Amino acid sequence: MEENNLLRIEHMKKHFGETAVLHDISLKVDKGEVVSVIGPSGSGKSTLLRCATLLTEMDDGNLIYEGRKAAYSEGGRSVYACKDELKEIKRSFGLVFQNFNLFPHYSVLQNITDAPVSVVGMGREEATAKARELLNMLGLSDKEDAYPCELSGGQQQRVAIARALALEPKLLFFDEPTSALDPELTGEVLAVIRRLAKEHMTMVIVTHEMDFAREVSDRILFIEKGYVIEEGTPDQLFASENPRVREFIGRIRR
Amino acid sequence: MTTTFSQLLSGMVVSVEIFLLTLLFSLPLGLLVAFGRMSKNRILQGFVKVYIAIMRGTPLMLQLIVVYFAPFYVFGVKISQSYRFVAVIIAFSINYAAYFAEIYRAGIESIPIGQYEAAAVLGYSKSQTFFKIIFPQVIKRILPPVTNETITLVKDTSLAFVIAVAEMFTIAKQISAKQASVSALMVAGLFYFVFNYVVAYIMEMFEKKLSYYR
Repeated sequence: MEENNLLRIEHMKKHFGETAVLHDISLKVDKGEVVSVIGPSGSGKSTLLRCATLLTEMDDGNLIYEGRKAAYSEGGRSVYACKDELKEIKRSFGLVFQNFNLFPHYSVLQNITDAPVSVVGMGREEATAKARELLNMLGLSDKEDAYPCELSGGQQQRVAIARALALEPKLLFFDEPTSALDPELTGEVLAVIRRLAKEHMTMVIVTHEMDFAREVSDRILFIEKGYVIEEGTPDQLFASENPRVREFIGRIRR
Repeated sequence: MTTTFSQLLSGMVVSVEIFLLTLLFSLPLGLLVAFGRMSKNRILQGFVKVYIAIMRGTPLMLQLIVVYFAPFYVFGVKISQSYRFVAVIIAFSINYAAYFAEIYRAGIESIPIGQYEAAAVLGYSKSQTFFKIIFPQVIKRILPPVTNETITLVKDTSLAFVIAVAEMFTIAKQISAKQASVSALMVAGLFYFVFNYVVAYIMEMFEKKLSYYR
């Protein structure tokens, strides 16, 4: 049964100095699921995402993608797999950043094709064809020769999504994908994520957009102070009896 | 008059040689030094810090003298005539590498961490990340300070006179003393000015070429 889990995080713990940021976080994501992670700022959402995407090493816990151990707990510490294994595992997931982090010296097309060509070894023509397909899907066909600095924030974020998708990840993480955008630009990015959800892309989304999370997610995780306070379907979570969850949802939506 | 001119011309050639060879060696060496300076290895980092402090903290003229006479005074090796020019290139290269290293370091440290993280998640190796993603952006950022250093280098080539290398300034001074006239020095001044004008022009072209993105 566990083989269905695209991602399994078990008892993830992370300290920064004396401060415990993640106490004990567990999360399973199945193929085709959309999971949103919500919670107040400083709750550990971003750290969770950074540990899950191997940008930061957790202190303790298991991290398993498609049954392959990226890290497992041994004697109270996480032991990470070897470099080559991690490189393979990294191909299971992609990450879309809050600040896009596009490569400014590359054109839109280069941003999308460079990793498939230089990391995976895909042919340039194939990568280019694929990139054009993605740009077409995201409504950016006329922007392939533009540079990131010539694009709006919403367009940059869509390019960043295309860049992540070009590597064909099984699971896509989003770290507050609309937080750096002007309100009128969030819609176009949310529309893309909504579309990916319809196509059954597996996604884990850290977000502050409550209504969006409710609409698009199969499951929502409420995290506070490094603990999972509540987990359930959007309806369960929005009808939660837990005063902290109620207060947070009420505050954000007002 | 023609001999004066041809003498000055041969001096010019030597000055240009010092300039080009120094850049050729100090630019890559500076990058290596910058890596050492940013190394997590404390011993290497400390060693490089001391090296940079000495290079920046003492006169280049003194460094030239030390590099030129060190083989004799330290190792007792007889200094050959041809070593003069080599000593100039060594002294200039290790001196400018120190300055370039600090420019590289400032440039590398100014690249947002998000660029490294994006590359890491996309699966780029460490060296791919540096050479494909980080370094091209560093070059754009450091061009103005590198231009400054390069212009300083053009003028610094005249310091080679201290170990009697027959570059532009050395020859201009000799001619000027012989003729009891400053005209040769004026010609030398004009040469440095035009040389720097060309250098600044070329560097500006590089900057323009990289201005396609912010």
